[in-house]
Amino acid sequence: MMSARNFPKRMLLPSVLLAALIIIPFSAPLITAEDPIKIAVRYRLAAPDLQHWLGRDEFGRDRLARVLHGGQVSLTVAFVATTIAFIIGTFFGLIGAYFRGPSEFITSRLSDIVLCFPPILLALLVVTLFGPGAGTLVAVLSVLYFPTFARITFSEALRVTSLDFVEASRALGTPSRRIVLGTILPNIAGPLSVQYSLTAAAAITIESGLSFLGLGVVPPAPSWGQMIRGARQFMNQDPLGIMIPCAALVLTIYAINFFCDRLRDTLDPKGASGSGMDEVSKPLALADAPAIRDPNVVAVINKLRLETTRFGTPAAVIEDVSLTLRANECTALVGESGSGKSLSSLALMGLLPGAIRQASGTLQLRRKTGEVVDLGFLDARTLENIRGNDIAMIFQEPMTSLNPIHKISDQMIEAIQAHRPMSKSDARAHAIQLLKRVGMNDAERRIDSYPDQMSGGMRQRVMIGMALTCEPRLLIADEPTTALDVTIQAEIIELLQTLRQDQGNGLSLLFITHNLGVVADIADRVAVMYSGQIVEEGPANQILRDPHHPYTRALIESMPSSHEGLHSTDGDRLPAISGTPPLPSARPSGCAFRDRCPIAMPTCAEIRPVLYPSADGERAVRCLRAPEAPAGLMKNHQTEAA
Amino acid sequence: MLAFISRRMAAAAAMLLVIGTIIFSLLIIVPGDPAELLLSTGGGSASAEAIANLRANMGLDQPVLTQYVTFLYNTARLDFGTSIVDNGSISSVIALRLPRTLEIIVAGTIFALLLAIPAGTAAGLRAGGKFDIATSAINALLTSVPGFVLGTLFIYFFAQILGWLPAGGYVAFATNPAQHLQMLVLPSLTVGLHLATIVFRMTRASVLEMRGHDWVRTAVAKGLRRKRVVRRHILYNALGPIITVVGLQLGILLGSTVLVEFIYNWPGLSGLLVSAVEQRDYPTVRAVILTVSTIFIGINLVIDILSSLLDPRIRLQ
Repeated sequence: MMSARNFPKRMLLPSVLLAALIIIPFSAPLITAEDPIKIAVRYRLAAPDLQHWLGRDEFGRDRLARVLHGGQVSLTVAFVATTIAFIIGTFFGLIGAYFRGPSEFITSRLSDIVLCFPPILLALLVVTLFGPGAGTLVAVLSVLYFPTFARITFSEALRVTSLDFVEASRALGTPSRRIVLGTILPNIAGPLSVQYSLTAAAAITIESGLSFLGLGVVPPAPSWGQMIRGARQFMNQDPLGIMIPCAALVLTIYAINFFCDRLRDTLDPKGASGSGMDEVSKPLALADAPAIRDPNVVAVINKLRLETTRFGTPAAVIEDVSLTLRANECTALVGESGSGKSLSSLALMGLLPGAIRQASGTLQLRRKTGEVVDLGFLDARTLENIRGNDIAMIFQEPMTSLNPIHKISDQMIEAIQAHRPMSKSDARAHAIQLLKRVGMNDAERRIDSYPDQMSGGMRQRVMIGMALTCEPRLLIADEPTTALDVTIQAEIIELLQTLRQDQGNGLSLLFITHNLGVVADIADRVAVMYSGQIVEEGPANQILRDPHHPYTRALIESMPSSHEGLHSTDGDRLPAISGTPPLPSARPSGCAFRDRCPIAMPTCAEIRPVLYPSADGERAVRCLRAPEAPAGLMKNHQTEAA
Repeated sequence: MLAFISRRMAAAAAMLLVIGTIIFSLLIIVPGDPAELLLSTGGGSASAEAIANLRANMGLDQPVLTQYVTFLYNTARLDFGTSIVDNGSISSVIALRLPRTLEIIVAGTIFALLLAIPAGTAAGLRAGGKFDIATSAINALLTSVPGFVLGTLFIYFFAQILGWLPAGGYVAFATNPAQHLQMLVLPSLTVGLHLATIVFRMTRASVLEMRGHDWVRTAVAKGLRRKRVVRRHILYNALGPIITVVGLQLGILLGSTVLVEFIYNWPGLSGLLVSAVEQRDYPTVRAVILTVSTIFIGINLVIDILSSLLDPRIRLQ
């Protein structure tokens, strides 16, 4: 049960509004003493006065009393019918879900059939047989809506019964009745209460509609639908006559819908942020990027800082990240999930999620034309020309990265035609060439398959083929093998290696992974990321052989390596890194890794380390205790503190 | 593909049979004598002779199984029998009035799709933005206005106050095309706006969902123009769910058409239906409901086939 304390704030207004609209009609005797059915023809269509606040209708009856009493009738019919439908439907649904078998068939098929009758027509059919009246209405509405409840209960209960704790209590021999009432019902109360409100609103609409046709509530008993019907002929002289019942009806339905929407949001909060196509925020600060002189350099990330506003105040998710990507070189970006390695690459593509913005730093790219551009400040059109042409990207999930309803051929052809003016048949021939290049047998035939007809490895080959469309200078591969089987992983890595060697114009590959074993195979340089920062960077062979940062060391030690004979020497134990990386909003002072660091010192909490370059400038590390760190740093600080 | 279509058609035919059976058995399970029931008005009952006549006329004196088979046979031949009020052929009345109802529905649906799909797409693409907040608020309000209330208010504003359009009535297109179209505007607007609220909601939700999928990111990464990404990789994917929901909501749409036709004095199926219900002309009511249900099932069959054309996963399974 919901206590007053955790009653959600967003539910307060709709709940109060709904309660008021339900209570007011039923407090009619407190509001007016007038009789809703007493006719006084002398005063027909009289204007409002002190006794009759809303005036009188076409028979001289008090309109306020009629609206209030009419509300009682509409609400009673709707809520009684909905409650009956709810009880019967839930009962059938629970039985169907718990015992399955034939009862399952009845509950799921019944609603299909009832859905085929437009509700108001089914109501009319029954009215023909039984005559109009409130009782008929209740019966019809209950029959109309109980299958919907049965269906929802059935599918929701099916979901819940397969949950572990229900299976467990069934195995423990808890009686069915207790499992159903005590465990399943409370767990499906959310969707049912939403459906209850929806049904009540629909029932009011149908009741008033039938009464409007003169086939619902029998006169002289008041009802909103009837009041609109009666006032229709006089709308010219007396517009108030239609406005009042219309307003009452709309307001009531609106209150129920409003309540229902908020209830749904509260029960099932879904963020509105997607990864695919958000509006990209423009960078905050303009910074003059240093010119790239070396023609071998394809892209430079300089002191990049990305911020998110998701936690209220802006918090850095990426901080002080600098990377230089060169032609004919593979740079591996390594780290745990959440370390910011994917975000860094998405920033290069201009594909950052909407909640994250570039706060400072620069992203530069040398285009195929030789022109150097700052990616943060390009207009949308230029960025579209660069994506897929100068930079291409392969994503982690081949199963979801291709559009399931378009053929492979269409998806490849549109990528080609986006950058090269080419006829469709030429583009298709080119696409087949690309598929052959990535090792797809029978490419002529398979190009016309849909993604769902292909395995994960095949789809990743398609993705790679698509990325090669325009011979990009920079190829970003974001964990391209993580979602694949081990044997397929090796094939894809091998393919990437071959492609690097084949491509004439000096491909620069940015390879993002959490798997250091792969790094040893493919990378020339490695950058290790932790909690939004690069903590160690340098030539791959040096770093893997002799890591200087305790985090890199821990990563290498936790790798189940079969490469270097480390395997099984100390009982297959993985020295896992204890703890978890800090959230962007809760990074500790000083070094971000110190909470998990086996060699942390008190000083590590006070000084925020930067990347300290080695003497030869080949590598750098962000650790106060590393050999690269200035020798005096720790001592000086200690004396200062003392 | 062919197998898929024939499977769906068989399912639709089975559904029709079930509906026919339900409508038929309603008269059988009604307590008391149906003929007597249908002829009773208020408290008084009809003469024995009239009851016997009706029984013979509707075949109620036959054994139930014979009645059932005759009913199905005649229905399949589109012969709905005669009205118990004026003994006229029900089939020919329906043939006369059905096109007028379909005209409103088609015009209303076109209006709804043209209005709601662009608006829903724009709102979904920039969910949380100003346009989204404004349109979603208007939509929530419109959702709460029943069709007959909207129709009544339209008559008041557009016909009585502004005098732009006729308050109702019908002139055949052949007699006076301009006047016919003028009279069509308000009814189809009323039906269409109601449908538009549903389509808007569905489009917005569907676009919002599709927008977050990985393949959209791939499409952007390929360097496609924004317009093309929206059209081919968001909207095209969203279309299947949208039309499926629209199809299911058509039942409610057909129902609200009954009220809308009544309000505007549009002589379609619903005028026939309402007077038949008032006069307890069961054969006519039965025929109208069978017709409408058949249309509903037919439309959903077409939509099933359409969405399988849109999404290969449906026909591959």
